[in-house]
Parts: sequence; structure tokens; C-alpha cells
Amino acid sequence: MKKEELLAGIEKAIIEGRKSEAEDLAREAIKAKLDLTEVIEKGYVPGIQKVGDLWEKGDYFLPELITSAECMKAAMAVLQPELDKANIKTKSKGKAVIGTVEGDIHDIGKNLVASMLSANGFDVVDLGADVKIEKFVEKAEETKADFICLSALLTTTMLGQRKAIELLKQRNLYGKFKVLVGGAPASQKWADEIGADGYAENAMLAVKAAKRIMGA
Amino acid sequence: MSITILELIRKRNVLLDGGFGTELIQRGFPQGACPESWNVERPEVVKEIHKSYFDAGSDAVLTNSFGGSAIKLASHHLEKRCYELNRAAAMIANEVKPEGGYVGGSIGPTGKFLKPQGEFTEPEFEEAFAEQARGLADGKADFLLIETQYDLREGLCALRAARKVAAIPVFVTMTYNRVPRGFFTLMGNSADRCIEELEKEGVPAVGANCTLDSSDMADLVKVMREKTRLPLIAQANAGKPSLSGEGEVSYSQGLENYLQHIPKIIENGANVIGGCCGTNPDYIRRMAVLVKKPG
Repeated sequence: MKKEELLAGIEKAIIEGRKSEAEDLAREAIKAKLDLTEVIEKGYVPGIQKVGDLWEKGDYFLPELITSAECMKAAMAVLQPELDKANIKTKSKGKAVIGTVEGDIHDIGKNLVASMLSANGFDVVDLGADVKIEKFVEKAEETKADFICLSALLTTTMLGQRKAIELLKQRNLYGKFKVLVGGAPASQKWADEIGADGYAENAMLAVKAAKRIMGA
Repeated sequence: MSITILELIRKRNVLLDGGFGTELIQRGFPQGACPESWNVERPEVVKEIHKSYFDAGSDAVLTNSFGGSAIKLASHHLEKRCYELNRAAAMIANEVKPEGGYVGGSIGPTGKFLKPQGEFTEPEFEEAFAEQARGLADGKADFLLIETQYDLREGLCALRAARKVAAIPVFVTMTYNRVPRGFFTLMGNSADRCIEELEKEGVPAVGANCTLDSSDMADLVKVMREKTRLPLIAQANAGKPSLSGEGEVSYSQGLENYLQHIPKIIENGANVIGGCCGTNPDYIRRMAVLVKKPG
């Protein structure tokens, strides 16, 4: 199989959410001794980006998004040992600590953002739901994260997003860790008001916002 | 009670209630607690809210049991009290039910996903919903409303479970996003497909709630009406919530704009109308004038 054909096949496998095909093509790329970073950048990444576009347009929904993100994960798991062997560091786009703030058990949106960030080449530390504000900050320090993503579905728990930023300021970490906020009641206006670095209405826009704050 | 809720729906348009969570919060409900726990701990508060809706003109109120499935309660470690909390939810609503009023047992989504997106199987969902429905039925709910469903499969699990344990009418509302191609749930179920499947199951009234404001809801009602002759339920949000720097919550539509679209919702074919997030007894009082005309 020609390289171009292989890359196109990879892109298609991700878009259509076919896991075993996405894995097989990864193995084929290894066998053909292709430049694996190129395979990722020109095959897998465009695939997951198209999935995001389809979702934003309303052609794809949550199941397609999750399936494609899982295909991506499975293919990366095939490639990773080879990358390690060749001592190739795939450049992480950045490290995120993510969670739903204290008092809020809603995690569907947060999970989606986490899997799309991860599928798009970010390292993701997922703290789950109902996470104490202090824990976000401590984990960000411990894991040397670049940014923190705070999710809240409720107007009451959304105040936790502001508290997290206040805590960062108190500990002189404001600016060191960038902050993205999301959730139904959040908005750009709210993000500006509390001093967050970005707001995203959905998981795809979260990826874009993350890239923006990482300067990519 | 002289006639059933279904008989009333056949006679005239029926008015449900509005938002519940915000009413609880206004009465001191703490962040992060389990709303259903107040059915036992602070029943007088829950009753007061139901009464305020009945007083505003609601024909039926929905019980404080939206998150009362055993799976959802498990996130508060209260799954063992599923039956008790739901039974209490229906009982306290009944205590303030006026002559000619109805109590609808609210059943919201689990917040989890079925396989392959999630960890749960259909029998597990059914079991969690059955326990809830049993409690609501034993607390003497007049009907059940499986609401805000974003996955048709989950909605059908709840329906099967409810019917197995309760001999009262079971209605289903889904929650839809508006995309260029039409109205779809989070999982990608179209409004057409949901109506079709639910009608096939013999659900006596179907519809939509939450997510959409009253303007989009009017359009969705039109889509649903083209698909079915069943009674249609419509409960729109008052737009999108936002929080001011001072912590004041407001909804983008506001009362007057919200009400402007209610006649269209009725004209497009809704028979059971209520509010959802961002609405309160003031909304319902004004909606009563528009909804409760003999038809």
C-alpha cells in the first residue's frame, strides 16, 4: 500500500470509527517503516479533526465522537512501543488537569472534553466529578500541568470556577496554570469576569481553546 | 378524583409545573446535596414548592424525584433509599394536591451511559428505574413522566421498568438539541425516530422538555405533530442560564419573551404544557391564562 493510500485509509478508519482497521493500519505503517510522527500528523490527527467538524455541524453525535476517540486511543497504543523503541518523543500538545467542580456530579460534558483533548494529542489527568478546588491546584502542581479545565453544569457549582481562580491567585500560581471553563451556564462573559483564560461551549471548541492557550 | 389525567388531556390542554431546583435553592438547599433527600429531611419545603405551583394554576405537579433512580442516587451514596425517597416524593406532593389536581412521578436520566459508550447494561438500568417507579407508584402518583431523556434506549429501559411495576399511565419526554438537520438528542436520536419508537410501544403521551427555549420548542412541537396524533407534552427552558459576578442567576429569555411563544407551542399542537429550567410559579401563573382554555 502506498503511503498516501495508507494515510487516507487511516483518516477514514478514524472518521468511520473502525477500531480494528485503525489498529491494523498502524501495524502496517510500522511494517512499512514509515515515519510514524508523519503517520500520526497526516493520518490520525486529520481523522479526529474531521470527526470534530462533523460533530459541530450536527452530523455526528456523542456515540460517534466516543467511538472515534477510542479508535484513536487504540491506534496510539499500537504505535507507542515503536515510538519508544525509536526514542521518538511524540510532542504532547500540553498537559491538562480536568474535572467537574465540587458539589457537581455531572460528568458527561467533562468526559467528552477529556477524551477529545486526549484524542487530539494532549496529556489529560482526569480527576472525575465533585472535585475539591484545592485538588485541581495540587494536581496541576504535582503533574506539572499546563492548564486546568473546570466543568460545572449548575449555576450554583459554577461559582467553584471562580474560587479555583482565586485560589490560584492566592498561591501565586495565576498565569502559571492557564484555566479553561465550561458547562451549560458558563459563557465567555463569565470566563472574562472571573479571569479564566478561555471558555468553550463544547468539546471541539475546548480543543481549539486548549490549542490557543498553548500557543499552537 | 373524577377523571384520569388522560381523560383531562382529551378534554382540554393541561398545564404542568415549572423549574424545581432553583425553587429548592431559594429555600436554602445546599450545593452538592441530594435533592431527593429533602423528601424525607425537609418535606415541608418540598410541599411548599408543589403548593406554589398548584396555586399558580398547575393541573399537575412533578415530584421531587428527577434524580431518584437507584443509579443516580448512588452518586450520593443513597441508592439503598431509592424506594423510600421516591415514595415520599409522591406522598408529599399528594398531601398538597387540590381537588382535580394530579401528581406526576418524575423519572430523569441516570446520568450514565449504556454500553458501549458507558459501563451499564439495559437490565441494570431497568432495575434502577423499576425501584424508583415502584416507590412513586406506592406513593400514589397519578402518572409517571420519564423526562429529559437524551438516549432513546435509556428512555425505553425506564418505560419497560415502569410498566412492569406500576399500573398508572407512563409518559415520556426526550430532550433535543437543534442542529441544522433538525432536532436530535445527545445520542443522535432524531425527534421522528423517538416519536415513532415510543408510539410503537404504546406510550399514551410523548414530547420534549429542557435544553430548548420556548421559541425553538414551538418549532419542535410542529415537527412532532407532523409525526403523531398522540397528545404532545412540551416544557421549554427560559433560554440559557448565566451568572453575574454577584452570583445572580438569570435566564436569557426572561418571562415576557418566554410567554410570547407559548401560543405558538399550543397552536403547533402541544396539549400538555409546562415550564422547565428558569421558569417558576410566576411563569406558570401567566401560562395558565394561555393554556387552560376549554378546547
